[in-house]
Amino acid sequence: MDSINARFKLDWPGFTLDVDLALPGHGVTALFGHSGSGKTTLLRCLAGLERPSHGRLEFKGKIWQDDQTWLPTHQRPIGYVFQEASLFTHLNVLGNLNFGLKRSTTAQRVGLDQAIELLGIGHLLDRKPDTLSGGERQRVGIARALAVGPEILLMDEPLAALDLKRKQEILPYLERLHDELAIPVIYVSHSPDEVARLADHIVAMDGGRVVADGPLVETLARLDLPIRLGEDVGVVLDATVGAVDTEWHLARVDFAGGSLWTRDRGVPTGKHVRVRVLARDVSLAVHHPEPSSIQNVLDGTVESMAADDHPGLLLVRVQIGDSQLVARLTRRSAAQLGIAPGLPVSVQIKSVALME
Amino acid sequence: MFLTDGDLQAIWLTVRLAGIVTAILFVLGTPIAWWLARTRSKWKGPIGAVVALPLVLPPSVLGFYLLLAMGPHGPVGQFTAWLGVQPLPFTFWGLVLASVFYSFPFMVQPVQNAFEAIGERPLEVAATLRASPLDTFFTVALPLARPGFLTAGILTFAHTVGEFGVVLMIGGNIPGVTRVASVQIYDHVEALEYMDAHRLAGVMLVFSFLVLLALYAWRPNPKKGS
Amino acid sequence: MKLLKTLLVAGAVFATGLAHAEKITIAAAADLKFAMDEIVSNFRKGNPTDEIEVIYGSSGKFHTQVQQGAPYDLFFSADIGFPRELAKAGLAGSEVKPYAFGRIVLWSQSLDASKLTLDSLTDPKIARIAIANPKHAPYGKRAEEALRSSKLWEKIEPKLVYGENIAHTAQFVQTGNAQVGIIALALAVNPELASKGGYYLIPDNLHAPLEQGFVITKRAEGNALARRFAAYMGDKTTRAVMTRYGFVLPGEVAGK
Repeated sequence: MDSINARFKLDWPGFTLDVDLALPGHGVTALFGHSGSGKTTLLRCLAGLERPSHGRLEFKGKIWQDDQTWLPTHQRPIGYVFQEASLFTHLNVLGNLNFGLKRSTTAQRVGLDQAIELLGIGHLLDRKPDTLSGGERQRVGIARALAVGPEILLMDEPLAALDLKRKQEILPYLERLHDELAIPVIYVSHSPDEVARLADHIVAMDGGRVVADGPLVETLARLDLPIRLGEDVGVVLDATVGAVDTEWHLARVDFAGGSLWTRDRGVPTGKHVRVRVLARDVSLAVHHPEPSSIQNVLDGTVESMAADDHPGLLLVRVQIGDSQLVARLTRRSAAQLGIAPGLPVSVQIKSVALME
Repeated sequence: MFLTDGDLQAIWLTVRLAGIVTAILFVLGTPIAWWLARTRSKWKGPIGAVVALPLVLPPSVLGFYLLLAMGPHGPVGQFTAWLGVQPLPFTFWGLVLASVFYSFPFMVQPVQNAFEAIGERPLEVAATLRASPLDTFFTVALPLARPGFLTAGILTFAHTVGEFGVVLMIGGNIPGVTRVASVQIYDHVEALEYMDAHRLAGVMLVFSFLVLLALYAWRPNPKKGS
Repeated sequence: MKLLKTLLVAGAVFATGLAHAEKITIAAAADLKFAMDEIVSNFRKGNPTDEIEVIYGSSGKFHTQVQQGAPYDLFFSADIGFPRELAKAGLAGSEVKPYAFGRIVLWSQSLDASKLTLDSLTDPKIARIAIANPKHAPYGKRAEEALRSSKLWEKIEPKLVYGENIAHTAQFVQTGNAQVGIIALALAVNPELASKGGYYLIPDNLHAPLEQGFVITKRAEGNALARRFAAYMGDKTTRAVMTRYGFVLPGEVAGK
């Protein structure tokens, strides 16, 4: 009874939402898709901001919506973060934070102080929203949603309205949320990078329908993912920092099937991390290659192959121990190397992104 | 004294009338403005048009209908008779009622615009922060629409002060009861007391200018705020 | 060149002819409303090409407007004082002629006014009494005088409401908002009002005579139609109409 069961059917001129989902009641679930795919609409249905003509929503055993029941938004134990922070301009930061807190009757799982500390906004409490930067505003928006002590946090592209610098400013806070929050988070995004960093579970949407749904690592390793990711095709590996080489400023991350060296970002040994490996950074060799500038070379077996977006390219999934990597090759090199399922290969990895 | 006692009495009466009418319209106009700003009902057009009617109707039309309606044979007159209270024509409260009609759009339209300018988002935010719709109205919509209320209040007050035709039609020109400043000026002119007319008219001119000055000075910069 | 000159002259003659194509505007006190309509209609029977426009209103207002150059050719005032002032200021195109004496009556729609007297006004059942504004309406001034000489003014002043002119005052009574009004006899005998209520003639020894007079304005000094119409006011038919409408004519005894 820990899951969130949602079934919505909504007909608008030019748009139809038709979903039937069971979302995990813990961790971060990314609603992922291009704009117009219906991910924000789905989130709004969960919050009760849209009222679909037909729908049933059960949150951890409690009915929020069915043919007889309709729980209005203000009675749902949710926290909601909008794309633009949408702070109340007539209140200062503390007034914004207190607004929901004063009205909330739900248990204080994340108290106001904790939210302020978590988002690092203690020095902003007396300020008016229009004196804050975009990033600060959004951090206040997130803290405000957390301060009501929600049982679920709904986030609608909280970074989309921010430039790269502001995104970098907020992402660490979101990663802390991921690690420290006990409540489920539904996170709408169209950015594969954000999804890879933050999500445990992914729901891919297209044209108002769910096209893929599953745990992040497995789902990203699928070659038949029906949404085009282009340069962002790649996998995420759960790993642990195994060793730090202080002389060369490198860190070794161990995952089920092998180890990779990456730049040391000061993450202590033993810490659980996430590693993202993009398909374009992975190349294959049939013989063990000569020593080269590429440090990370692993042994694996070709598991399956699939067409890529471009007719000259091919995606190849390689099994390495219990993990999988995806490589992008040209069709010609695949043919010349005789790449086929079952073939043992050397996997060269040019670049690895370490995410806390 | 610069102004006659009659003038001062008329000014005090005018200020009292405008103040009471403005207060009543805040209470009465706000829910209607809210409804007009948010509804998708097919009645929005007709109701909005009725609210705007006094903008285009000559005061004499309004005054004539009000005189008939409040008279002993009219619906309002029958109602006051049923209540056992004094008929409304020639009374201060009759003027109040007439002015409420006459100044209605000056309250409703600025407030409606202010509510429309708030948009859907802050109300949605309030709902996700556990605020019921009524709670949201008082703690989010009203504070955010404050500039609109300021404009509406000033316009309503000023417009009621400037009212003449309706007052003349239903007021009966009774000193201290229905003889407001505009009628007092008219009487001065009719009686060829041009000096008295000049003085009171000058006061009204300065007042009107100050009101409009305040309105333009206080109006917040529309580019500000997010 | 010669042709152009001929055309210009012809045009000028034509234009002057038009200017003489007679049209006048009369400003008349509101109490004349019904009588004047009939007089003008009679006059036009004999002069079908002439255009006469009549505007009714308060004498005081017309007086102010004529001072400011309003386009009125004749001014019929309910109080002869106004045209006399115009004449004194050099704004008249003729001498001031008295045309009638006005009388005031009690009139009501809900009560039988023919059975009323001024004393009845103290009756508590009468809550509102309409009179024209004494400050600038001649009939209002006479009403006040009548009430004062009957020692009633103080007693009934709280009940008084003031009409802008005598027609407006009648309207207060007609709509039932005032039970009784003091209005011009000329209005009360008009069929439209007479069908709705009777009247009580207030004795004219209670107030100063309400001498009414008219004048041709300065702008119409040379206007033949204005002069003809002024002369027509002395016509036998016209005098009959005026008498029928309750005006007492100059040189006649108030026979009523």
